[in-house]
Amino acid sequence: MYFDSLQYIIFVPIVLAAYQFMPSRWRWAVLLSASIGFYAALRMPLLVIAWTLVVLTSYWCGRRISGEGNDLRRRTYLWAGVAAQLVILVSIKYLRNILRLILPGFEISTGGTEWFSTLGISYYTLQAVSYLADVYLGMTEPERHLGRFALYLGFFPKLLQGPIERAGDLLPQLRSLGSFNYANVRSGVLLFCWGLFKKVAVANRLAPFVTAVYYDPHGYSGISLIAATYMYAIQILADFSGYTDMALGVARMFNIRLTENFNSPYFATSIADFWRRWHISFSRWILDYIFKPLQIQWRDARKVGVVGALLVTFLFSGLWHGSTLTFVAWGLLHGVYLASSILLKPWREAVYHKIGLANHPWRRAFQAFVTFHLVVFAWIFFRASSIADSWYIATHLFVAATTRISYATTVRGGVMGAILNGRSARDFAMLGAAMTVWFLGSTFSKIVRLQDQPIWFRWSMYYAVILALVYLNAYDDVGFVYFQF
Amino acid sequence: MIKPDLKHAILDELRLEDWQIDDETTAAEVPGWDSLSHVNVILAVEKAFGVRFSNVEVLKLNSIGDLQRLLDSKLG
Repeated sequence: MYFDSLQYIIFVPIVLAAYQFMPSRWRWAVLLSASIGFYAALRMPLLVIAWTLVVLTSYWCGRRISGEGNDLRRRTYLWAGVAAQLVILVSIKYLRNILRLILPGFEISTGGTEWFSTLGISYYTLQAVSYLADVYLGMTEPERHLGRFALYLGFFPKLLQGPIERAGDLLPQLRSLGSFNYANVRSGVLLFCWGLFKKVAVANRLAPFVTAVYYDPHGYSGISLIAATYMYAIQILADFSGYTDMALGVARMFNIRLTENFNSPYFATSIADFWRRWHISFSRWILDYIFKPLQIQWRDARKVGVVGALLVTFLFSGLWHGSTLTFVAWGLLHGVYLASSILLKPWREAVYHKIGLANHPWRRAFQAFVTFHLVVFAWIFFRASSIADSWYIATHLFVAATTRISYATTVRGGVMGAILNGRSARDFAMLGAAMTVWFLGSTFSKIVRLQDQPIWFRWSMYYAVILALVYLNAYDDVGFVYFQF
Repeated sequence: MIKPDLKHAILDELRLEDWQIDDETTAAEVPGWDSLSHVNVILAVEKAFGVRFSNVEVLKLNSIGDLQRLLDSKLG
């Protein structure tokens, strides 16, 4: 039962009705039961066990940290809690490999049950660690109500793919769950539909163009590789921000505001700015719980300390996404970008002055252009199946058609042939239409507050979103990119 | 109440001529004080007042008022 499934679209109104008819002091129980049911419906039993262990260990350690006066013991409970989350995370992520190591040739007959999925676990273990650290630092009060705490970690709209919520942001909302609010339900439904549109009309339409090239990049060169890489940059944004809109929309129907995860990331004017706009809840997490402690610990080393903290932080970011070398390379590349921006700052400013760009109105546009291309280049490593593939792509972006496929697509089909790679012009036109609707809708929502508009205008917009969903839907079953982490 | 010598140490490190700073002001509200330059501001304050903060003390800071109170507690 994923967000873009019919079951989910039936499930949410049923939960909403139960939530509405339940007395306010039991609403947490409705949401918790729905969340457990949602997780159980995925038929991944180990994940429910892992989630239960995360809830119990972090709840218990949180209570112990706050009830303890001795700082050494408080620190012991903090590290015990963090270690428990790490052990649970690593055990689930590598369980199949561990079992195969112990029992060579091990296989399990699944019968429709997925025993080795890791769906959601990376998100709520990070959230549990942040809760423990915030309790230790006195930034949040520990939650005494076990059911409400379990809901904080398992609230179904954010269970599988975040946002990673800070205790201080979400727990107070769960303590006073409000009754049915028409304005919230209406805007929540619209946000859900808008996110669904981004996923099924934009991301799913881009996916085949990208997959065609990235599945076996050695058959392509030049324009095909460049086009597929740009398309992937747009696909991953539409996919992940679409998911986030759906999560935020459903949470809003229950009067809960989750963290915005995206803020026009491709308009960032530096890599640091990009990380303030991309997957914001995760960026805040690595900043607060890895970068800052390391930066403070190594502060006497000045710039070297900051550079070291950045590299370790982004190495963690890469490893969190996956244990393969491609994710490590992607994480380290971002670490190197940020470290370079610190080390080269004096020279960069001197160059800006020399070429007259220091106070020029075009400076921000130039910075945004450079930042966007650095980010897109790094996506090559994120998307490619292996380091060999990513290296091939990175070194053949500006190489003319030499292989059989790229010769066929580029030389015979021209630039369009290289971009289409066998897909029809109609597919490309539909993609263009979907992206235009996305761009116009995003721009419009930044300029106009829809709830302030007259009723005829609001309902025209609702119908426009529904029509766009129906007519531009790709009707392909493509999983969410960020589910794999 | 932020004392002038703390304000001076912060503004000096950030190369700002002047900026309104009060108890509730956060780092994000001061131009140039971002996550990358944060450690430089802390080092500048430590150097200016001859004190050393523990890592946890620095991580607990939420506002410049917190920094002033921490500094006062160190200076006795």
